[in-house]
Amino acid sequence: MLVSMKWLKELVDVTLTVEELVDRLDMTGTAVEGVRSVGEGLSGVVVGAVLEKAPHPDADALSYCTVDVGAAELLKIVCGATNFGAGDKVPVACVGAELPGGLVIKRAKLRGLTSEGMMCSAPELGLGGDASGLLVLPADAPLGVPYAEYAGRADTVIELEVTPNRPDCLSMVGVAREVAAITGKSARPVEIEVSESPEPIESAVSVEIDDPALCPRYTARLITGVRIGPSPEWLADRVTAAGARSVNNIVDITNYVMFELGQPLHAFDAATITRRDDVAAITVRTTREGETLTTLDGQTRTLTSDMLVIADDGGPIALAGVMGGEHTEVSDATVDIVLESACFDAASISTTSRSLGLISEASTRFERGVDPSGCVAALDRAAELMRTLASGTVAAGVVDVYPAPRAERTLTLRPGRLNKVLGTDISAEECATILGSLGLSATSDSPHELTVTVPTYRPDLEREIDLVEEVVRIWGMERVPATLPSGPGRIGRLTGEQRWMRRIDETMRAAGLNETMTYSFVDPSDRERSDTAPPEGETPVWLANPMSEEQAVMRWSLLPGLLRSVSYNQRRGVPDVHLYEIGAIYGAVDGAVLPRERTMVGGVLAGSWSRPGWNAPAAPLDLFDGKGVIEALAIDLGIERMSVRAADLPWLQPGRSAEVLVNGRPAGWLGEVHPLVAERYEADAPVVAFELDTSALIGSARTVKPYREVPRVPAVTLDLALVVDDAVTAERVEQAIRKAGGKLLDEVRLFDVYRGSGIPEGKKSLAWALSYRAEDRTLSDEEVRPVHEKLIRKVSGSVGAEVRG
Amino acid sequence: MTLIEDLKRIEGEALARIAQTEDLASLDAARVEFLGKKGSLTGVLRGLGALSTEERPAVGKVSNEVRQAIEAAIEERKAMLAQAELAERMSAGAVDVTLPGRKRLPGRAHLISQITAEVVDIFAGLGYQVAEGPEVELAHYNFTALNHPPTHPARAATDTFYVSDAGGSGREGDPESDVLLRTHTSPVQVRVLEQQKPPVYVIVPGRVYRRDIADPSHLPQFHQIEGLAVEEGITFGDLKGTLDHVCRELFGRDRKTRFRPHFFPFTEPSAEVDVSCGICVGSGCRFCKNTGWLEILGCGMVDPNVFGYVDIDPERHVGFAFGMGVERIAALRYDIPDLRMLVEGDMRFLRQF
Ligand SMILES: [Zn+2]
Repeated sequence: MLVSMKWLKELVDVTLTVEELVDRLDMTGTAVEGVRSVGEGLSGVVVGAVLEKAPHPDADALSYCTVDVGAAELLKIVCGATNFGAGDKVPVACVGAELPGGLVIKRAKLRGLTSEGMMCSAPELGLGGDASGLLVLPADAPLGVPYAEYAGRADTVIELEVTPNRPDCLSMVGVAREVAAITGKSARPVEIEVSESPEPIESAVSVEIDDPALCPRYTARLITGVRIGPSPEWLADRVTAAGARSVNNIVDITNYVMFELGQPLHAFDAATITRRDDVAAITVRTTREGETLTTLDGQTRTLTSDMLVIADDGGPIALAGVMGGEHTEVSDATVDIVLESACFDAASISTTSRSLGLISEASTRFERGVDPSGCVAALDRAAELMRTLASGTVAAGVVDVYPAPRAERTLTLRPGRLNKVLGTDISAEECATILGSLGLSATSDSPHELTVTVPTYRPDLEREIDLVEEVVRIWGMERVPATLPSGPGRIGRLTGEQRWMRRIDETMRAAGLNETMTYSFVDPSDRERSDTAPPEGETPVWLANPMSEEQAVMRWSLLPGLLRSVSYNQRRGVPDVHLYEIGAIYGAVDGAVLPRERTMVGGVLAGSWSRPGWNAPAAPLDLFDGKGVIEALAIDLGIERMSVRAADLPWLQPGRSAEVLVNGRPAGWLGEVHPLVAERYEADAPVVAFELDTSALIGSARTVKPYREVPRVPAVTLDLALVVDDAVTAERVEQAIRKAGGKLLDEVRLFDVYRGSGIPEGKKSLAWALSYRAEDRTLSDEEVRPVHEKLIRKVSGSVGAEVRG
Repeated sequence: MTLIEDLKRIEGEALARIAQTEDLASLDAARVEFLGKKGSLTGVLRGLGALSTEERPAVGKVSNEVRQAIEAAIEERKAMLAQAELAERMSAGAVDVTLPGRKRLPGRAHLISQITAEVVDIFAGLGYQVAEGPEVELAHYNFTALNHPPTHPARAATDTFYVSDAGGSGREGDPESDVLLRTHTSPVQVRVLEQQKPPVYVIVPGRVYRRDIADPSHLPQFHQIEGLAVEEGITFGDLKGTLDHVCRELFGRDRKTRFRPHFFPFTEPSAEVDVSCGICVGSGCRFCKNTGWLEILGCGMVDPNVFGYVDIDPERHVGFAFGMGVERIAALRYDIPDLRMLVEGDMRFLRQF
């Protein structure tokens, strides 16, 4: 809502400076989005007199004028306008002037002649009026005086952000009422009187409402014999300040009254409405199948059955409350006008406006709720202006269809309740005064209750709590004492699961990974690109209205997003990437309304842990760096059994692809991304990746770990190199060793894997360090030797191993 | 030449030799030469047997003194040489301590997580618990039960992401069971109040979605932290006090807050909260658009209609709720020029915080 300060001051005394007023509005719930000056900053624009007007020798469309601006030198100015002659006074922008549009006037050559300034039209000065010619001033305009000073047209416009609950503030009288309430003044009502001719409207116009729920009230007046023409300066200035374009006197009047009173009006050219028995017959109804309407903007629109239209017997003539029809539009040839002032259902208007993508000043107001009680006043106000400014004749009476007049609402406010909610001590009298300043009447029958009557222009005030809000915002939120809740029964603590989530987070970082966040949306083509798929029994969750095709579906894996980040870094010369993300993946499940959401922890590693240093080589990261992270996670969460199992997962490189099991149950995967998948994401392989379901991890995490004796005696450590078939996994050998080692075997550590010279083709040597330890005594070689030899025999038998060397 | 003279001579020679040794090996050689089995002192002492019993004690005494003197000299020399050798070894082992260390850096938490954890911890201190809810949500929880009328603009498909009904669950045409990506963390308020009767003190961090084109100041997904407190006797003053405390904890002890009345469908009275600008300290600068204040969160008293949806008596219980944007806090605290950096995963960005 754009508010002209000049206009506002006519409706209420404003003694505050603009800055103070803006601050007060801000602090009482009407945010100010901007303040701007109009008709000001016109320094360098002065009243000038055209002394001579000669044709431009080289351009028919231009004239070459001699202009007196009251300075020592006369100016020579080239001009393109035609609506003036020698002797006229006009605003002249001298060299150096800056116009509101940002144009800076310079000495310039136009078709060979030097122009020393510019003569201006009203719009060029940021004012309302005719753009086709110069703004010709009265003959008595004082020569050389700054134009702004002479015209007194300077104004300040403040832009208000009106919240959806305050339709009343979409009008000047509403804003004036609000300003009066917040500054302790009283608003001046707009005096409305209309002079009618004896001819009654009923013989010329009739109105029917099909469904009063969609149109609670429809009123109309007939104004005959209007002369369409430009608006007077004051009217043009007002509508321009309010954000509209000055069109002609009739259109400007309807806009003016809308801005003033908040009631949208529509003017029909009466001659274009189909007659029924010589009466322009208007029906308010919903659309019939297949109807179309060409709206004022020239577009032919196909209407759907839930849209409300104004129709005559020939079909729709306007989209109720949204936009008029082209056919019934007021034109230069219009003589008689049917003026509409109605109240339409907010929800219906909002649906229509949104489905057609048509948002107008009228629809914005109807959408928030227009006061049906104000229809006739607006009609009278506009009709009288059309009479005085467009020489119209106002027919006697108003057509007023208002099946169920809206009554003023009565509410009860308990000051005790108000203070209980706010934590204040505001007296009943103070409440009554504040409500009174807002135009509500508050009377009290008992000391504990106020009976409050709410005018119809405040449809947002429906309940006691609404009145509480009105009181506190005017009384001042800053005056409410700040306290802390004093009630009992509060224990601030994370749940066990939340604490585990933090632990997972911490372990990832301790392992050297950096947290990232990627989009929850992915590209449907990520399905093929990454060769990943939602888990068994789930399908991707599609968006009905994505921002783009690349973000049309919710992710089913963290991998595509993480691969994009790997590529993003590598493409920018960052070769070492260590990222993890903890976030949801989404899967639709048959029969369930909401998809399943699972919180996953995913990671990607590429490059090395660091660039080569003077004392630290840069070892390329591989699967085992990823596995190390997962192993650290298992240790930190106290998970007893986490294992990996070779598995052919299509997005991972065969042979470097594994499933992760927690207590024997699948919990995720680990591996090196398939080189082709990496390539499709423009990532340089190898990229190590993993993704684990946090609920599987947390489900097996142990808060309390049992105490185990800390060894008090030294161990006997023996090395053992076993040559086995390539196909025999380290895990299997380790299990065989542990099984064969008996009670004395304590630690088993693999310290070398060797293939090559000395080892037959298809075999490998696994070298283990085995620590034997008894809890109660230091073992001797003699005691360990037979155990170790027995272990070798057993392991050799169970995994087909031979002892090397 | 008497034995005693011999002994004195040997002592003199030995001490001179010891003093000349320059390493432990030659010192040992000197020891063997004078004190060893075939050493000169031993040789002299062999002649002891030839002495008379009267002479022996005197010679024996001298020989002991000589032996002790030599041994003491050796020990002294040994300590000196050992010290010298250690000094030499250490000097050979000196390094340039300005060379970089051997390090494996721990990773960093994402800025959004850091701020979220910080806010959660502040509220844990005030007795709040953390509640969570689904990101893919029913329109009922996201809008209806939060008092949004059916035509509320936020429900429009231009503003809110809706989920296609692929599962064939028969939702079509029933706006109440429309499935959408939650536009705020507020639906968790309703879910919590359905599950838990007052007193309720919860904080709800989470990811939310709105149909904004990603640009320097918008992302279609971002993070909010919602708070809800419901108990008998709670007041708007308590809301003010709570948020005052939180803003000071988050932005600094010297920061001020102000409450501007505003409108939200699910709270009444509602307010927006500004925190004083930390750069200009309230006098106005580019950062705060010359207002001296930075808008930081929205809040209000829980609307009685919301209590109606979860069957809580609004006459008895009063509550307050608030919500803040984590990206907004991040942008204000770190002056981040482009929010898109938060989702790009650039290591150089992530490692800064
Ligand atoms: Zn500032």
